[in-house]
Amino acid sequence: MDTQSYMPVPPGVGLEENFFSLDDILLSHQRLPCRTENAFPRLGFLEKSSETPDILEGTKMEMPLWLAKGLYERKRRVLSVDLPKMYREGWRTVFGADPNVVDLHKMGPYFYGLGSQLLHFDSPENPEIAQAILQTYIGRFRRTMDSSQNAYNEDTSALVERLDFLERTLFREGQSGLNSFQQWERGKAGHLTASSLVTNYRKRKINELQE
Amino acid sequence: MFCEKAVELIRELHRMGDGQLPAFSEDSIRQVLEEMKALYEQNQSDVNEAKCEGKSELIPTIKFRHCCLLRNQRCVAAYLYDRLLRIRALRWEYGSVLPANIRFHMCAEELEWFNQYKKSLATFMRSLGGDEGLDITQDMKPPKSLYIEVRCLKDHGEFEIDDGTVILLKKNSQHFLPRWKCEQLIRQGVLEHVIS
Amino acid sequence: MDPSEVEFLAEKETVKIIPNFSLDKVYLIGGDLGPFNPGLPVSVPVWLALNLKQRQKCRIVPPEWMDADKLEEIRELERKEDTFTPIPSPHYMELTKLLLNHAADNIPKADEIRTLVKDIWDTRIAKLRLSADSFITQQEAHAKLDNLTLMEINTTRTFLLDSLKYMYKLRSNLQPGSGKSQDY
Repeated sequence: MDTQSYMPVPPGVGLEENFFSLDDILLSHQRLPCRTENAFPRLGFLEKSSETPDILEGTKMEMPLWLAKGLYERKRRVLSVDLPKMYREGWRTVFGADPNVVDLHKMGPYFYGLGSQLLHFDSPENPEIAQAILQTYIGRFRRTMDSSQNAYNEDTSALVERLDFLERTLFREGQSGLNSFQQWERGKAGHLTASSLVTNYRKRKINELQE
Repeated sequence: MFCEKAVELIRELHRMGDGQLPAFSEDSIRQVLEEMKALYEQNQSDVNEAKCEGKSELIPTIKFRHCCLLRNQRCVAAYLYDRLLRIRALRWEYGSVLPANIRFHMCAEELEWFNQYKKSLATFMRSLGGDEGLDITQDMKPPKSLYIEVRCLKDHGEFEIDDGTVILLKKNSQHFLPRWKCEQLIRQGVLEHVIS
Repeated sequence: MDPSEVEFLAEKETVKIIPNFSLDKVYLIGGDLGPFNPGLPVSVPVWLALNLKQRQKCRIVPPEWMDADKLEEIRELERKEDTFTPIPSPHYMELTKLLLNHAADNIPKADEIRTLVKDIWDTRIAKLRLSADSFITQQEAHAKLDNLTLMEINTTRTFLLDSLKYMYKLRSNLQPGSGKSQDY
């Protein structure tokens, strides 16, 4: 195994975000279908289709999660947020029937993260959404675990293809536990190796030279 | 939309998940700061207008820009912070002297930070284990023996070991050396640990 | 933790050796060793036993549990029970590997022991996975892992902790208002 000295800030997971987490910043960049309940004077240029200097009340536009979260207020409605399709009832039924058949990478890739964040927007369907993402996680867990613990020394890209971001993290952790144990069992644990950072730098340099 | 440049910075780091340090994006940072300046100035004048002329319909727009300011701030702070985590890791992977091509990727303040980190780590290590100090970047794995067999992967020139003997590290030559002397060179990819 | 660190800890366990040399008591920070007399059994830490063995200074007496019949009993019990059975050594896996790799000639039925220990390990790891899955499906709030050894926990530590953490966070979503409000 390689001792990694670089440990990035982990994502908050659930309702909370970690301010410095790169993953959370990219998660909060996911776009949500919104409707303005107020005019935004002088910002019309942000909306390609609009020809007025303002964003008018009742405009349908996509906004990143961070902006929707920042503008949203319970008391004074500035905008309302629609549910993306994979959190609506139709898809919830599909997940409920068999969570394992769904390609969460294509749906997400931050399916659990975005779903949890949506709960900030007081939708009447919130309890069902929260329940659906929890049950999806539970229903898919066995498969995530088994594939991460059984694949040894093989190409894992097909195994992770349909996994959500969180599931991929779990998959990698399972793999690294398995790999370092197998290394030890084969007597390779005491082997000193070059830092993976160093070897990757070298690979990149070679690639740059070839370009 | 605002803040696109800022998130580009984050994406660039995120793509290199293994901790490599990409070149410092001075230009992008400058553009983000310019956007922030513009947002701030627009808000200043709109706030004045809202106050003096009672134009309360401007408030949502002001809030909109304010969110963008905070977002830019978060992205830049996270960019700089994550780079520091990577730079700190370099001290452990490469040792206290960084190769020129990596130093080239750091801005002046980052180089300064690296030097300060290096110094405080050295001070800490000197304070350990009596007069000699203790190099805590050594023996990252429990050693099995004091000496190990190594092969040279490239020409590295002369190398002095504990007892004062100088050996020549020539490509493909093989040596039996004190483990603690080699560990750093193995991590840097100069030597290779040979297991019989 | 890296498995080599777990192995390092296992090397502090003691084992009996029969030295073929004499040496007075040695006083070390970690405890006194010896005295050593030819033919007289003495307990030493595994790291020393292996070092002496490699230099042909001693014969190693295998620990009591490292015995084909006893291990077979443990294996059958482990397969029969649903829970983890108490194991005779907290470092059974590491000690088996260390002693069999360096002192197989002192251990009767070494190959059989290797297979038995591997079987016990596999059975226990399979159980560990099964229980991880049931923690998640039953949404357990805390996990109790009795009778597991350090090496076993170590292979699954981050995976298990993070999968329980994610489950906990997704479950907290069910209680509205539990999340602190954040400004970013």
